[in-house]
Amino acid sequence: MDGGSDHDLRGRLASFLARALGADEVRVAALTRSTEGFSQETFRADVEIGRGGAREAQSWIVKREPVAGLLEPYDLEPEFRVLHALSDDPFPSPPTPWFTRDPAVLERPFYVMRCLPGEVPIPAPTADGRGPFSDAERGALGPAVARTLAALHAIDWRQRGLDFLGDPGAGRTAAARELERWEARLRASALAADPALTAALVWLRAHVPDCGERTLVHGDYRLGNFLIVRDGAHSQLTGVLDWEMVHLGDPLEDLAWCASPLWRAGTAYAAALLPPEDFIAAYAAASGRTVDPDRLRFYDVLALVKMIAIMHTGIRAFADGRTDDLRMAIFDHQLPFLMILLATTLDFFSGGAE
Amino acid sequence: MMHIAVERLLDGVVRTLTEAVLPAVTTPYARGQLYAAVDVLRNLRDRVEPRADHAAEESAAATAALENAGAALATAAPALAAELRAALAAVPAAPPHARAAAARTIMADALEALAALPADVTRAARRPLAEHLGAQALRDLAPLKPSLLAEISRG
Repeated sequence: MDGGSDHDLRGRLASFLARALGADEVRVAALTRSTEGFSQETFRADVEIGRGGAREAQSWIVKREPVAGLLEPYDLEPEFRVLHALSDDPFPSPPTPWFTRDPAVLERPFYVMRCLPGEVPIPAPTADGRGPFSDAERGALGPAVARTLAALHAIDWRQRGLDFLGDPGAGRTAAARELERWEARLRASALAADPALTAALVWLRAHVPDCGERTLVHGDYRLGNFLIVRDGAHSQLTGVLDWEMVHLGDPLEDLAWCASPLWRAGTAYAAALLPPEDFIAAYAAASGRTVDPDRLRFYDVLALVKMIAIMHTGIRAFADGRTDDLRMAIFDHQLPFLMILLATTLDFFSGGAE
Repeated sequence: MMHIAVERLLDGVVRTLTEAVLPAVTTPYARGQLYAAVDVLRNLRDRVEPRADHAAEESAAATAALENAGAALATAAPALAAELRAALAAVPAAPPHARAAAARTIMADALEALAALPADVTRAARRPLAEHLGAQALRDLAPLKPSLLAEISRG
């Protein structure tokens, strides 16, 4: 971590955790930054807790606001409130007890959550083209990911006190609000005109769907944010991570995002797990919803625009010199991969979609 | 199309190499090689620019697509057709990057204008633009190398 020696920061984090846990003493034995997140700063803290003469080892995850990043400007509090509210729910989100804006601890706001078991397979293609999972793992995890998404959308957000996220209301407003959210982000990035992106925005504005219901929407439910314990046909989805885009809206937004070609890791499978039509059918069966193909298509296209907007934000941060994180710079040459997906999805090669 | 200026890109690479990578490189030979890489990049920054032939190819294709769209609008939407002709006439003769950027802006504006008209009036004009966007997506992809995203994510 920056802004002080590693020893100082460990000491301040240890004091924070000791107060939060009501412990006599906490020692941060190791503080390791994750390379996987492209947005918030994620650290694993392995700690020893002393209480009443007994000692216990625990692991916690610390999520800290970055100086610049893909989803700036940042405010960790809404996602903390959601994770905190779900901490006693059977849904596999990490129990998340603490958040602070106090700069005396780690310079910037952060929250602390439980370290759940498992690994996070990444959505990048593998050299052999088989993706990150064996057939047995796919057989177990594909239906589990669909069922878990249905469980997320079944959470009673009013009862959980999550209406602070802003109910978009009935009709087309949920989809329209998301489209406006990402158009605003594109405008804020103010990169040079890109007619392919304009064509996509024009198409989206003409196809905003009516949403019959509003649910909690994770916003980034996809391969890369799943915590997995591998055990062949008994593999488990143990955690759903990275809630920074959580909001209330149309559940099909999450379904389209998860099934998007963006997250197939070079395979033909949604989330590298199931053929997209099977994944959608599994979600429909688990949720009891009928998946309207026109509504889903809107979110298919919005998913690509959303990813382009995120990349534009990173490119802008790098171009302005607010970050030297080269992972932001690579988006400038990753964009053409997205544009091919957009061209295919909107049938540019055969004259464009109506 | 590159959104990040080459100079800024190379400055960022140099800063990351010197501030984030160099402290972790411990053997003298590797440190010497890293300093050499930094030296190459610092001197490259003011001697390279994006490929002009790529921009020229894009602007030629975009101009042709816009001319076809304008022709398709001549009867159904003559005012928009005239606007397109005027915009194309104002595209700078050079350099190629400026021509390509101007063509992109005209096309984006044209797509917005077409969206305000009935679909059956604009279908024939939208077709050459969509086909150009598909072809340009392939041209932009052609020079790219396989992604190292897996290695970047794993570290």
